[in-house]
Amino acid sequence: MKAPSSRRVVQIGPFHPLLEEPVGFALAVEGETVVDVDARMDYIHKGIEILAQQRTYDMLPILLERICGICSVTHSVCFCNAAEDLLGIDIPPRANYIRTIIGELERVHSHLLWVGLAGHFIGYNTVFMWAWKYREPVCDVFEMLTGHRQNSALPMVGGVRRDIPEKYFPEAQKTLDMVEGKVKMLTDAVLDDPVLKARLKGVGVLTPQEVMDWGVVGPTARASGVDTDVRRDEPYAAYGELDWDVCLTENGDVFDKAVVRLLELQESIKILRQCFDNMPKGDLNLGMLHMPRGEGIGRYEAPRGEDIHYLRSNGTNMPERLKVRAPSYTNVASFKASCLGEKISDVTITLAACDPCYSCTERTAVVRGTDDQPERTFGDLVRLSQAETRRVADEMGRPHDLQLT
Amino acid sequence: MDAEVLSRQLTETFGDDASCVARSVKRLYVALKPDGLYPVFDWLQENVPGLRFGTSTAMDLREGVGVWHHLPVNKTPLVITLKVVAPKPDPRIPSLAVKVPAAAWIEREMTDLVGVVFDGHPEPHRLVKAEAFPDTFPLRRDFDVAKFKEEIGESPEF
Repeated sequence: MKAPSSRRVVQIGPFHPLLEEPVGFALAVEGETVVDVDARMDYIHKGIEILAQQRTYDMLPILLERICGICSVTHSVCFCNAAEDLLGIDIPPRANYIRTIIGELERVHSHLLWVGLAGHFIGYNTVFMWAWKYREPVCDVFEMLTGHRQNSALPMVGGVRRDIPEKYFPEAQKTLDMVEGKVKMLTDAVLDDPVLKARLKGVGVLTPQEVMDWGVVGPTARASGVDTDVRRDEPYAAYGELDWDVCLTENGDVFDKAVVRLLELQESIKILRQCFDNMPKGDLNLGMLHMPRGEGIGRYEAPRGEDIHYLRSNGTNMPERLKVRAPSYTNVASFKASCLGEKISDVTITLAACDPCYSCTERTAVVRGTDDQPERTFGDLVRLSQAETRRVADEMGRPHDLQLT
Repeated sequence: MDAEVLSRQLTETFGDDASCVARSVKRLYVALKPDGLYPVFDWLQENVPGLRFGTSTAMDLREGVGVWHHLPVNKTPLVITLKVVAPKPDPRIPSLAVKVPAAAWIEREMTDLVGVVFDGHPEPHRLVKAEAFPDTFPLRRDFDVAKFKEEIGESPEF
C-alpha cells in the first residue's frame, strides 16, 4: 500500500505481544487517526472442513472440539445440533442439562478470560490478574465434572457420551458462590471507575444499523441494543425450561461491551444454579444413530456469539460437507465499521472488544478516501496531544494539569 | 414468522422461480437460479424484519458448484437458506456483498476454496489462500493432493 504524504502504515502483528494468536493488522493512519484497516489472517488454517469429511459422525465432535482452545463445547454441541436437525430428533432431558452445564461453565471462564485480557490491553493489569485468578476455579470445576479443563469430549450426536458425577455438585455450587461475589465486585469496579469510563466510553462504537449490515452477533451486537441470542431465539439444550434474561445495553461502545459480558456472567451463574438444582434423571443418549441423506443447520450461542454449522449427509457414516462459521468471522470483519476514525491508541481495545478468536477465523481490506493534510512535525503532535488532554479534562470537569504552550 | 407461511408468500410472489421446501417450522430452503438471487434477497430484506446474513456454504456438486446462503432471522428460530447452483466449468454467481457487507469475506473464501466467481464483488482478491498458492481449488473433488505436493513440495517457501 503506497501512502499519500500524510498517511503512514502501522503494522500490528502477525506476531505481536498484544495478540494471543497470529493475525496481522495494517493500520493506515493520518496523524493519530486511523483511516484504513487491513487485516490479514489465515496463518493458522487447519483445514478442519476437509478433515471433517474424513471422520465418522462419532469421531467428529472430538475433532471439532479442537477448532478453538476456549470454546471447545461450542463447536461440538453446534455440530450435534446440526445433526439432530437433520435427523429431526429430541435428545434425553439429562443430556440437555449436561450440555447446558458445560456450555455455561465455558461461557463463565471465557468471559472472565476476556475481562482480564481487556484490562491488560488498556494497561489495567490489576483487572487482568484478578479476573484470571477467579477463572481458575471455574476451570477446576469443569475438570472435576468432565475430567478435563477444556476438552470434555462429552457431546455426541443424540446426547452425551458420559454422565457427570452429581457428588461434585455441592463443591461446584460453592465455587459458583465465590465467583458470583467476585463478578459482582468486578462489575461494580468497572461501573464506578471514572478512569475506565474516560478511557472506554464512546470508543469503537457500532450502531445498530452497522450491526445488521455486518451480521455482527453475540455480546458485541447486544451491546448495541440488537436483541439477538440463539439460546432464546432457537432454544437448544435446556435453555427453554430455565429462567434467565438476555442482557442488552444501548451505546455500542467498548464500555458497553464490557458491561454486557459482566452482566451475562451473572446470568450464566443463575442458569448453572438452576441446572444443578433441577438435574433430571434418565438416559444419556439414544445410542448410535444411522444418518440418512439430507441437510441440517445447527446454531449455538457461543461466548462470542452465534455459531453456525451446516451439515450435508449422503447416507454414509461420514459427512459430505460440513461448514463451520465461528462468531468471530463476522465480528472481526466489522472492524471496518468500528475502527475507522478512531485514535490509534483506542484501536487495540476496539479490536479486543469483540473478543476475537482467530483460530476460528480467516484476512480484510478497506481503503477510505485520501486527503491533503500537511505532514505534521513533532512539535505539532505535542500541541495536538496537549489540546486533547485539555479537552478530556474539560469534559470530566477537572483542572488542567498542563501549562499549555 | 414460520417457514411454511414464508414459503407460501415466496411461492405467491415469485412462482416457479423460487422453489421452496420448508423442512420444519424453523428451516426454509429456497432453490433459485443465479439471476433470481437479487430479487428474492431484496424481497426478504424488505419483508422479513430482523433478517441478517449468517454465512454461506460452497460445495462441489455433480451439477455444478452449489452456493448456499444461510440467513438467520433475529428473535425467531427461522434460518432461510438460498440455494444457487452455478454450472461448471466456469461457475459464476452474482455477489451478495454488493447488498450486504457481511457477505464480503465468505464470498472471497468460497472463491479461494471452490473457485466460484462472484460477479460485482467489491474486493475480489484472496482471503484464505496465500498469494503464491497455485490457481487450484482445494475443496473441489478433482483436487489432486499428490500432484499438488509434487508441484509445490511438502513445505513450500512462500
